[in-house]
Amino acid sequence: MIAPLAYPTLLRMLRTPRLWMSLTAWCALVLAFAFAARSAGSLRGADYVLSRVYGALVVPFAAYVLVGAVLGGRSLRASTEPLASFGAAPARVAGAMVLVTAGACALLCAALGSVVALVAHGAADPPPVRDAIASGYAGALGGGAYAAWLSLGASFGRRGGGRVVWLAMDWLLGSNEGAAALFTPRGHLRNLLGDAPPMDLSERASAAALLALAAVCTLWAARRAE
Amino acid sequence: MIAFEGVSALRKPLAVTGITLSLGPGVHSIVGAQRDGGPLLLALLGGAARPRAGRVRVLGGSPTQASVRKQVARLPLDTVLPDALRVGEALAVAAAIRREPARGASDRLSVLALESLETRPLRSLSRAEMRSVAFVEALTSSQVRVLLVEEPLVGIDARAVGRVPQALRARAQEGCTVILSTASLRDAGELADDHVFLRHGSVVGVTRSLETLVAFSQNGARLLVVTRDLASARALVAAVARENDVDGVDLDGISVRVHGRDILALAKAAGRAAASAQIDPVELRVQAPTLDEARAAAGTSVSGTP
Repeated sequence: MIAPLAYPTLLRMLRTPRLWMSLTAWCALVLAFAFAARSAGSLRGADYVLSRVYGALVVPFAAYVLVGAVLGGRSLRASTEPLASFGAAPARVAGAMVLVTAGACALLCAALGSVVALVAHGAADPPPVRDAIASGYAGALGGGAYAAWLSLGASFGRRGGGRVVWLAMDWLLGSNEGAAALFTPRGHLRNLLGDAPPMDLSERASAAALLALAAVCTLWAARRAE
Repeated sequence: MIAFEGVSALRKPLAVTGITLSLGPGVHSIVGAQRDGGPLLLALLGGAARPRAGRVRVLGGSPTQASVRKQVARLPLDTVLPDALRVGEALAVAAAIRREPARGASDRLSVLALESLETRPLRSLSRAEMRSVAFVEALTSSQVRVLLVEEPLVGIDARAVGRVPQALRARAQEGCTVILSTASLRDAGELADDHVFLRHGSVVGVTRSLETLVAFSQNGARLLVVTRDLASARALVAAVARENDVDGVDLDGISVRVHGRDILALAKAAGRAAASAQIDPVELRVQAPTLDEARAAAGTSVSGTP
């Protein structure tokens, strides 16, 4: 049952050229910073680019454009209507959409995180392969959580405009080490990428929190679509 | 097959109140302007809206039940399909969701003469083509047992529109319940076996035949006779005006509108007049009452569950 519900979302991502152009632009931006750090001989180039550019800008905005492309400028509820008209439950359609988007975003962010870690690697950074694996792992968790977070945001507002509010909320609440950052993907992704943790949380706890955040947002979004 | 039990619902700007109605297999029309609540009744049956009071039953269960959803197809006026897919892919996805055996898309599309759309991306289709593809999906699904169609002959591809009445009747003969919501008495009369009249969200009357309403209409019966040319039309006006059963006659180009109390007597009178004037009418058509006339007549003359 999941496959026919997931297939249209997958094809939508593959067949939307504007999405590919946006993603290419974001990837090019972070890679440009990575190459610049490498050519400047920065000692902690990977650390800097991953936390300040990749984690702070590229992961959230890649998730934002992916969610936007999947929803096609509609709210999450409205974007379930085409498959619901074939007899599928809107909650299941929404769940499948969020899962596929989160999966695609996780894959993209994992691959990009690993490449950035390798390209921007500096002398004071951890060993490159270990750093690439850790960055890929952090990127996958962060990308998935952001996609679910923004999909939930898109369930608010007539045309899914809530995702802008949720992106801003993530920015405002997740940019410090306070308790509020515990409830945003940004706080935990910063921790996994080597920045200051929210409430002194361990990296393992932040990874679990990102998974939990993704699960809660997916379920909540599906429920709101019903 | 479907039942409303004291249902009240609100989905702005539409509202319905105290609807009690049950419909079985066949083609049924809900007649009323859009604001009278017909589309909301279809949304309630399709599980897209929930009642504030009362209960809606479809195929013995709730419309939001997974097993019921698969057997219901709803076609609102603004039908949307997954636009990243091609037409053939969309029909295959629909079959997978409804858990029915896959059939060739071309075969399915041929029901409404739309085979040429098979490989077209849905996002490249016009609204009418998109709606027609959704119609094909509903008409050719082996799982669908309840079809809910808003304005069945509006916003449909020109190639398909002529085939819709026959296709709907075929589904009804297979045991499906087809419910149409329309503001057009002509469409309702052409497609449905019985008619439920809505006004301001309430049922004001139920009738099996729109023709029976003609007799109860305050303005009497109307017959339209289309002639071949203006001279024939004028000759017919002169001849028909002499008939006793005719209360009035209007000339509109090559069409002649004849008014009277009894539709059968009017038809006979028009036939006699045509014979005496030696003209050969192209078309003789009973003119349906207006929506308000029909609702008033249905409310006072014929009522009950179809």
